[in-house]
Amino acid sequence: MPSFLTRCRAALGSSALLAALMLAGNDAHAVPAYARQTGSACADCHAGAYGPALTPYGMRFKLNGYTDTDGQGTKIPVAAQLTGSHNVPARGDNTTQLTEADVYLAGRISDHLGGFVKVETDNNGNDHFSTKLSNLDLRFVAKDLKVAGKDTIIGVSVNNSPGFDDPIAALPNASSLGPPAVSGTLLNLSSANTLYNRVIGGGVYALYNNDWYGEIGTYNTMPTSMQDHLGYNIANDPGRISDTGYFRFAYMKDMKRQFFSAGVVALTTKRQLPRNAPSDDITDLGYDLTYQFLGNREHIVQASYVNILEQRDYGSTPVVNGVVAKPRGDAHDQTLSVTYTFKQSYALQVAHLVSTGTQDAARYPPFGKPDSTANLITLYWTPFGKDDSFTSIANLKIAATWFRFTRFNGASSNIFGAPVGSPMTNAKDLDAFTLSASVAF
Amino acid sequence: MTCSPRVKAARRALLAGLFFYSAGTLPVLAGDASAGADVFKQECAECHTTKEGKNKKGPSLFGIVGRNAGSLDGYSYSDALKNAKWTWTEDKLHWYLSQPAKQANPGTKMKYSGLDDAKQLDDLIAYLQSNH
Repeated sequence: MPSFLTRCRAALGSSALLAALMLAGNDAHAVPAYARQTGSACADCHAGAYGPALTPYGMRFKLNGYTDTDGQGTKIPVAAQLTGSHNVPARGDNTTQLTEADVYLAGRISDHLGGFVKVETDNNGNDHFSTKLSNLDLRFVAKDLKVAGKDTIIGVSVNNSPGFDDPIAALPNASSLGPPAVSGTLLNLSSANTLYNRVIGGGVYALYNNDWYGEIGTYNTMPTSMQDHLGYNIANDPGRISDTGYFRFAYMKDMKRQFFSAGVVALTTKRQLPRNAPSDDITDLGYDLTYQFLGNREHIVQASYVNILEQRDYGSTPVVNGVVAKPRGDAHDQTLSVTYTFKQSYALQVAHLVSTGTQDAARYPPFGKPDSTANLITLYWTPFGKDDSFTSIANLKIAATWFRFTRFNGASSNIFGAPVGSPMTNAKDLDAFTLSASVAF
Repeated sequence: MTCSPRVKAARRALLAGLFFYSAGTLPVLAGDASAGADVFKQECAECHTTKEGKNKKGPSLFGIVGRNAGSLDGYSYSDALKNAKWTWTEDKLHWYLSQPAKQANPGTKMKYSGLDDAKQLDDLIAYLQSNH
């Protein structure tokens, strides 16, 4: 029988997952400061004129270290975003509130230095706000190099989430879209004790002949005191990681009217969670496929599939309720997303998110299964951010988003294992509908 | 009235001559400017606009046909294009856009691999010609 504490922890975990999914609905990397710097419209880098999904042009801007410019003098590298939302959970009270206020320091410092820094203030309910350092990506880049007669870019990225700096931006930490996971992989921002924004590191990357992308890097978790200072709850500390390697290799082909990519990613580390525990040996291996039909930009389709398998060799095998935990296990995260955008202003995104893992009665109460399945369906309208709109360098996004769960803790009903006679929670009770309005300027 | 065979043959020869003469002096078939607008969106619009005075990474292409290279006030050109002593005629644009920009004008900032579809190139230039 799972303890009350365990059930509460699971419930709190699901709240965190919901928050992560809401992040996916509202997160924006379409920074108006970049539009002012380059003279480009939001829609040049983002199909729906609002991030985070990138067009091939947006990928090149990111690879160039956010340094491209229209040459019309220095622009102030500051932008802001405000988001308000009306949230209707399947269970619980409706809320209407200013959800998030963000400040971006984003732009070029020189031809070779640029960056993206997001400081995020969240409404934690009842107008209690907390501020944290969100995404960070500082770059040095050497452009216009020739290697074996081919165009080559070589750069260094210092960032706080493995994969956030990826140009293709399909990996969970870059797309802000990963399956809500009870277990989950280290490369998934929606996993428990995620590395997302709580590590510091980065790597060296190169783009060869416009098609071949490679990156090698390493990360360390921030000390808990630093996480606290940067606005993070240390209860969700990802633990201490060491001997960490991050590897990325991808082929990407821009054919102007179409784009496709195929890539592999790996993360290997030793993790102590909590920090005084024996270390687990963890290896993530994944691949991702993306396709974009861009045409004349009237009808745009963007599809991506990400599949990450994590293998764990645990440092300890605790006994829980008389059951010994397994010494090894897997976690497996899959994300399939398809977005259709009409006139760079009206978009429908449908995502299927699946997280599974090795059954382990001791590690995953109440049923020993960490499996979850969810969908994200969002419809949005972005009236501005095009060359021919009222403004090309700012935007508004009105979105209706439905978060739908069909499985959690490996079950669709009574997902927290409530005893007979007690109130039960079904997977669909985690569903939520959200109307949101965001403005970026 | 009937004509002699010799007169008929002369008339046919005259008509044929007129036909070839006319064909030789007809203007080159123009591209389709409306189709060119789509080509512009797929090939050029991320770095250029056709709005007057609106520069992006590249200069505005409003009125590009007939403009001297590197001559738009307020845009920071590469030395390579500032020193290019040519005028953007339709023929020059055809030559320039049908090959990688760095091959046509070594040292240019422009990153473009060239458009090798002749029909699309004609349409694009027709569209640029229409923006005055």
